[in-house]
Amino acid sequence: MLQIIADGLIIGSVISLGAIGLSMTLSIVRFSNFSHGELLGWGAYLALTAATGLTSMNAGLAAPIGPFSFGWGLLAAGVVACGLTALLALALDTLLFKRLRKQGAITLVIASFGAALALRNLLLFWQGGVPQYYSQNLQIAIPLLPRSVWGGLRVTPDQLFVLTLTLVTVTGLHLFLRHSTLGRSMRATAINPGLARVTGIDPERVLRATWLIGGVLAAVAGVFAGITVQLRPTMGVELLLPLFAAVILGGIGSIWGAVLGGLIVGLAESASVSVVGAEYRAAAAFVVLIAILMVRPNGLFGEKR
Amino acid sequence: MNLALEIVDLQAGYEPGLLIVRGASLQIQKGEIFAILGPNGAGKSSLVKAVAGLVPIASGRNILDGRDITKTPAHQMVFNGLAFVPQTENVFVNLSVAENLELAASVMKANRRERVDPVYAMFPDLHRQRGLPAGQLSGGQRQMLAVARALIARPSLLILDEPSAGLSPKLVDQVFSKLREVRDSGVTVLLVEQNVKAALALADRAAVLVEGKERIVATSAALLADERIAALYLGRHTGRQPRKEPS
Amino acid sequence: MMPDFMGWLSYGSFFLVFASAYAIVVLGLNLQWGFTGLFNVGVAGFVAIGAYTSALLTTPETAGRLGGLGWPVAAGMLAAMGVAGLVGLFVGALALRLRQDYLAITTFGIAVTIQLVANNAKGLTGGPFGVQFIPKPMQAWLGTGLPWTIAYLLMTLALLAVVYIALEKLVKSPWGRVLRAIREDEDAAASLGKRCFKVRLQSFVIGSMVMGLGGAVYAHFVGYIAPEDFLPILTFQLWAMLIVGGSGNNRGAIAGAFLVWGFWTAAGGLLRGLVSQADQARAAPLQVVLIGVLIALMLVMRPRGLMGEAVAVSKVNKV
Repeated sequence: MLQIIADGLIIGSVISLGAIGLSMTLSIVRFSNFSHGELLGWGAYLALTAATGLTSMNAGLAAPIGPFSFGWGLLAAGVVACGLTALLALALDTLLFKRLRKQGAITLVIASFGAALALRNLLLFWQGGVPQYYSQNLQIAIPLLPRSVWGGLRVTPDQLFVLTLTLVTVTGLHLFLRHSTLGRSMRATAINPGLARVTGIDPERVLRATWLIGGVLAAVAGVFAGITVQLRPTMGVELLLPLFAAVILGGIGSIWGAVLGGLIVGLAESASVSVVGAEYRAAAAFVVLIAILMVRPNGLFGEKR
Repeated sequence: MNLALEIVDLQAGYEPGLLIVRGASLQIQKGEIFAILGPNGAGKSSLVKAVAGLVPIASGRNILDGRDITKTPAHQMVFNGLAFVPQTENVFVNLSVAENLELAASVMKANRRERVDPVYAMFPDLHRQRGLPAGQLSGGQRQMLAVARALIARPSLLILDEPSAGLSPKLVDQVFSKLREVRDSGVTVLLVEQNVKAALALADRAAVLVEGKERIVATSAALLADERIAALYLGRHTGRQPRKEPS
Repeated sequence: MMPDFMGWLSYGSFFLVFASAYAIVVLGLNLQWGFTGLFNVGVAGFVAIGAYTSALLTTPETAGRLGGLGWPVAAGMLAAMGVAGLVGLFVGALALRLRQDYLAITTFGIAVTIQLVANNAKGLTGGPFGVQFIPKPMQAWLGTGLPWTIAYLLMTLALLAVVYIALEKLVKSPWGRVLRAIREDEDAAASLGKRCFKVRLQSFVIGSMVMGLGGAVYAHFVGYIAPEDFLPILTFQLWAMLIVGGSGNNRGAIAGAFLVWGFWTAAGGLLRGLVSQADQARAAPLQVVLIGVLIALMLVMRPRGLMGEAVAVSKVNKV
C-alpha cells in the first residue's frame, strides 16, 4: 500500500511539473495547449542528445554520481535541454500561436493539436520508435520499510532525487511568482489582463515569460520521466491527458493546485495498476477528470476570474 | 503648455468599420476637474479608453502634456503620467489591498515604501484594511482602492470611467470628495459620468458627448443653468444644434 | 489499355469510398463546430464507436469475444449511430455547461479511453487484432471484385447525400435558427439558459450519431478494423478537412474531405517515391508533419477555409 503511494508520488512529480506550465498557459495565454505534452518529450530527448554529445567529449561525465544512475553529463545536458525547450515553446508561440490570437481560443486549440502532431512525428522521425534510456546503469531499490509494515517501501536513489528536486523546483517557482515583479505581473495578468495593462504591465513580456517558464518546467519533467521510466517519442501525448486532468483538478491558474492535482493523478494511476492492471492506467486520469468535472469543475484552488 | 491633455479630432472604435468616437476634440487644462457627460451609447467610455490605449484609434491625435501619445500602447501610459481607472473589475480581487498597491509600485520600478506610504496617508481606511483581499471590500472601498492604485503611478492626469457607478449617493460623495483631494494635490482629473448632477457639482468644466462627438463644452456653472442639458439628457438629441434659449 | 483503366477505376473507387466516408464524419463535425461552436477533439473516438458497434453486432459469432450477433448491416449501422449518440449524450451532458476548453479536453479523454479499451479489452473488442470478417453488404449478389466496390461507392454516396440533405434541412429549420442565434450572440444565448443548453446538446448528439455512421460505413467497406485505425491522427485529418473546406458550410465540409484525403494520399505517394525502401518506415511520420504544417498555414493565412463563412465562431480574447 505504501509502495503504491510512493510510486504514485514519483509519477505525480512528473505530472505536476508539466501541469504547472500547462496551467499557466491556460490562465495567462488563455487556451488549452494540446502541444504542451510534446515539450516534455522534446525536453527529454534534447537532454539525451546533449548528454550523449557531452559524454563523447569527456567520457567521465557519464560516470554515475554517487548512488544515482546518471552522471554530471546528464545534469549539464538537462540544463541545456531546459534552455532549448524554453526556446522551442517561445518559437511555437511566435511562429504560430501569436498570429492566431485574434481568432480566439478554439482556433488556438486546433492549431496546438496540429503542432502536437507535427512535433511528435518529427521526434519519431528523428529518434525512431524504440524506447531509450539515459543510462544502462541499473538501480537497486533501497528498502526503507520491510514488507511487514504496510506492504513495505522501496525507493531507488533516482526516485528520491526526482521527488526532492520537484519539491525544490516548485518551491522556487512559488517564491518567484509571489515575490518578484515579473511573477506578480504574471499573476495579475491571469486574474485581469485589462487591468494589468493599465497598471503598467507589458502583456507581451508576461506571455514570453509564461512560455519560457512552461518550457523549462516541461523539460525538467521530461528528463525526470526519462530517468524514472524511459524515453519514448509518444511520451508527450501519453502524458497529455494526465496533465489536463491535473490542471483541472487543481484549478486553472493555481500552481499548488497543479502540483496537488498532479500528485493525485499520479496516485490514481499507481493505484489503478494494482486494481485493473497496468494496461488501463491511462484511464485513471480520465476517471479523475470526469469525477472533478462532475463534482467541482472549478477545481480545488481555482482562482475566480 | 497649459494643457494636460489635448484630444484632436479623434476617431476610434473596436472594429475598423464601426467607429464609436467620431471626431471628438477636447482640451483639458492642467489642474482642473473635467467631466464628460452624455447619453448612453454616446461613446464617452470609448473616448477615454481610446486615450488610455485600450480602444483602437482610427485617426486623430492625443497629446498628453505636449507629448503625442496616440500610438503609445496601454501598458506604457502610466510611465507617461496617465493613469486610468476602469469602470468595472478595477481591482485585482484575488490580491490583498496591500498587494494591489505594491504591485502597482513594483511595476513602476519604484521604491514601494516611497510610493505606497503617501497613498496610505491619503486613504487611511485602505491602510486599515490592507490585509484584506480586495474582493472582500465594500463597493465604496473598492472604488477607493481603484483610485489609490492609479495614484501609485504619480500621474499628472487621472482618468476615471464612471467612478460613481453602483454607489449610493453617500458613497458617491465620499469618492468625489476624494477626487477633489486628488486634484488639490496637483493631479488633473478627467472623468466620464452618467450622474450629471454629482459630476457637475464636482467638475470645473464639462463636455457633453453625443454620437461620438462633443456638442457643448462649458463651465459647470453654465451647464447647470442650461436647459439644453435637460433636453439632451432626456434623450431628445438629434445632432442638430439646440435652439438658443430666449434671454 | 483496358487493364490500366480497370486498375485506375478500382483505385479511384477505393479513394472515393474513403473520402465519402470521411465526408460523412466531417458533416457531423461541421454540425458540432461550424454550426454550434462546440469543439470535439475526440472525433476519432466517436468514429471508432460507430465502427466497432456495427462490426461487433454484424459479425458472426467469434470465440473469446462478445457480440457476433450476425445482425444485418443496416441494423448494425443504425445501432452504430445510436451508441455513438449515447456517448455523445454522456459527454455533452457533462461538459457542455462548462467552458469550451473543458469540452475539448473531455472529448480528448474519451478518445484516449476508447483507444485504450479497444486495445486491451480482448473479450469485447478483439484487442490489438481488432475485429475481422466484418460483413460487406450486397456481397452475396455482387461478389468481391470491382462491381462490389462500385456498388458500395454508390451506396456510400447515397448515404452522404441523405446526410447532407437532412443536415441542410435541419440547419434551415426553426431549430437551426435557434442554433444560429445562440452561436451569433453567446451572451444573449446565456440568458436563454436551459434552452440554449438543450439545443447545443441535441446538436452535439446528432453530430456524434453522424460520426458513428461514418465509422460504420468505413468498417463495412474494409471488412477489418483495429484500434490503430482510430488514432489521434484521424481526428486531425478530419479537422483538417473541415478547416480546409471551410467550417459552417456543409458543401465546404464535403469538398474539404475530398481535397484533404487527396492531398494526404498524394503526399504519401510522393514520400514513398522519394524515399528508398529502407527508409520508408522512418519517413512515414513526415507525412503527418506535412499535414500539420498545412493546417497551420491554412489557419494563419486563410482561416475561413475555401468555402467557409467570413465570420468564424470565436470568443476574442483580449490579452
